[in-house]
Amino acid sequence: MDAPVKKKKLGLKDRYAAMTRGLHWDTTYQPMEKVFPYDTYEGIKIHDWDKWEDPFRLTMDAYWKYQGEKDRKLYAVIDSFAQNQGQLGISDARYVNALKLFIQGVTPLEYYAHRGFQHVGRQFTGAGARVAAQMQAIDELRHFQTETHAISHYNKYFNGMHSANHWFDNMWYLSVPKSFFEDAFTGGPFEFLTAVSFSFEYVLTNLLFVPFMSGAAHNGDLSTVTFGFSAQSDESRHMTLGIECIKFMLEQDPDNVPIVQRWIDKWFWRGYRLLTLVAMMQDYMLPKRVMSWKEAWTMYAEENGGALFKDLARYGIREPKGWKDACEGKDHISHQAWATFYQHTHAAAFHTWIPKEDEMAWLSEKYPETFDRYYKARFEHWGQVEKKDGRWFNQVLPMLCQVCTVPMLFTEPGDATQIAYRETSYHGMKYHFCSDHCQEIFEHEPRKYVQTWLPVHQIYQGNCYPGDINPESPGDSPVREVLRYYKVKGGEDNGDFNTSHDRRHFSKWSGRTEDDGEKNHA
Amino acid sequence: MRETVADFEAKLPPDGLKTLGPYPLRQADTVDRFFGNWLTYLGWDNHLMFSAPLCVPLPPDLPFGALVRDVLPELFGEHPEFEQIDWQRAQWFNSNQRFYPDFGKSLEDHGFGHKTLIRFRTPALEGIRREIKSGQQAF
Repeated sequence: MDAPVKKKKLGLKDRYAAMTRGLHWDTTYQPMEKVFPYDTYEGIKIHDWDKWEDPFRLTMDAYWKYQGEKDRKLYAVIDSFAQNQGQLGISDARYVNALKLFIQGVTPLEYYAHRGFQHVGRQFTGAGARVAAQMQAIDELRHFQTETHAISHYNKYFNGMHSANHWFDNMWYLSVPKSFFEDAFTGGPFEFLTAVSFSFEYVLTNLLFVPFMSGAAHNGDLSTVTFGFSAQSDESRHMTLGIECIKFMLEQDPDNVPIVQRWIDKWFWRGYRLLTLVAMMQDYMLPKRVMSWKEAWTMYAEENGGALFKDLARYGIREPKGWKDACEGKDHISHQAWATFYQHTHAAAFHTWIPKEDEMAWLSEKYPETFDRYYKARFEHWGQVEKKDGRWFNQVLPMLCQVCTVPMLFTEPGDATQIAYRETSYHGMKYHFCSDHCQEIFEHEPRKYVQTWLPVHQIYQGNCYPGDINPESPGDSPVREVLRYYKVKGGEDNGDFNTSHDRRHFSKWSGRTEDDGEKNHA
Repeated sequence: MRETVADFEAKLPPDGLKTLGPYPLRQADTVDRFFGNWLTYLGWDNHLMFSAPLCVPLPPDLPFGALVRDVLPELFGEHPEFEQIDWQRAQWFNSNQRFYPDFGKSLEDHGFGHKTLIRFRTPALEGIRREIKSGQQAF
């Protein structure tokens, strides 16, 4: 048969080379180091960028087609979820608080990640790494968008989502994710990749995505599950970038090893502190539980992470310094965080509650060493107070750690009855920390961390009041004025779940409450 | 003569921060920003109903007695053990350093400053009991 002779197409490998490395050129009007100053100032030595491996070999045109298909599927599901009143099918209205935490604290990080990867994509001189970073930048922007669209449906029916971006920039507990990312993208490009691609995406991401996405599946939230699937294939690409970047730096020059080790120590710990919020969500906010934080930590961090650091040992890399303390913390941090939010939830944009009896039993079972011994009596006491005198809130602002900005709620390693205090002095002022590891991060770069925007201190400086308030005398209820500045609607967005609009509305619309138990899943 | 950024940076202790240009010191919480008060952190050892130590702005001339009489009840008064505290027996710490307060003297007289951490321990009241008997509260 005569077939018309076509012009020969490039093979996959050549095509990839043409569409990535073939796009690179060296500058001639200006010296390279002036155009790309970020590439070298961190002290990382790169001798041959061509050694960078691109395991996915994805080109921009293929990427575009592939993501377009995923988006079409995702938006079809989101539409049908909305048309079928999917929000009425969730386990109970307490679940929505996990989504609030997600849209307030995780979604804005996608946007920050987008900015960070754009910066890296601009500043590296290696074309393979630049293309990977640029694609990831687009992924992150897309995640910000799809999460916002998926959750906007819930925003029509529930409180605590309407001003998520404003809250991210202002609210006390959201300084934790915000400062994490601002710390990362004000580092150089190699530190950013170690922080976000390696420590967060590669080592810790399963601890973020699995709890939220399986939590959504268990609690009847199809739209979030679909978003999760849509993002998952991107995440595996991101994780690959993380491990490739680490191996590349370590293989290029032995002088890079101590720099990378320090970054791994720092960013493992910062990521771990950030995950405190996830731990709490997983153990307390999901009406239908997936697995405990302790189980997730054991599986994803201790087992997978342990294997990873064994593998990296051949480069001279050891496990992060905070590793042992983090492993000890798996028995404690979710309870400590929920206790903190329980008492400060009048100043937060989601609801908290005392776990129900069967939920307490679940916690006792999952935390046999610690829950009954250290935490249960506290919740029982608050439950009794609530019945007798009304819901208790702590009206005084907590002391915060200068680095992670989490309230100083973590206890001393080896003693769960005593808060861990660490401090140092710098340039005539005291600085306080939650742990040895946060202190060490500070002491290595004090000029960076003396700038930390600590929400409690900002309130006392008068920077978190509406314009009509005199910060020196904010009136009889400073908290109320701060909430007004935060755009948190008192009695709607904040406070206990039991007295919330969310609870009342959901029960009215669905005919179900969280007390219906198993019936909810018939 | 006006101090240049370079002069100023030369006086700072060395640190590991790598930068592309000058990086002036910007301390976010200097004492001049708190309307004459000192940020003061207060923690009650082994008592975790207040899940973190608390932070309040206090005037440096506040007598220590007023701190105990007026401020602490506002902060910790809702703890079921608070009423039982015997202040004569309480142990006080400036961070980790034991001190013996004079109730008539001010915070400043005690040598405290902006961002001082004051901890107190109430030996008879253990908060979380290490061995919990049934029916006892532990926090």
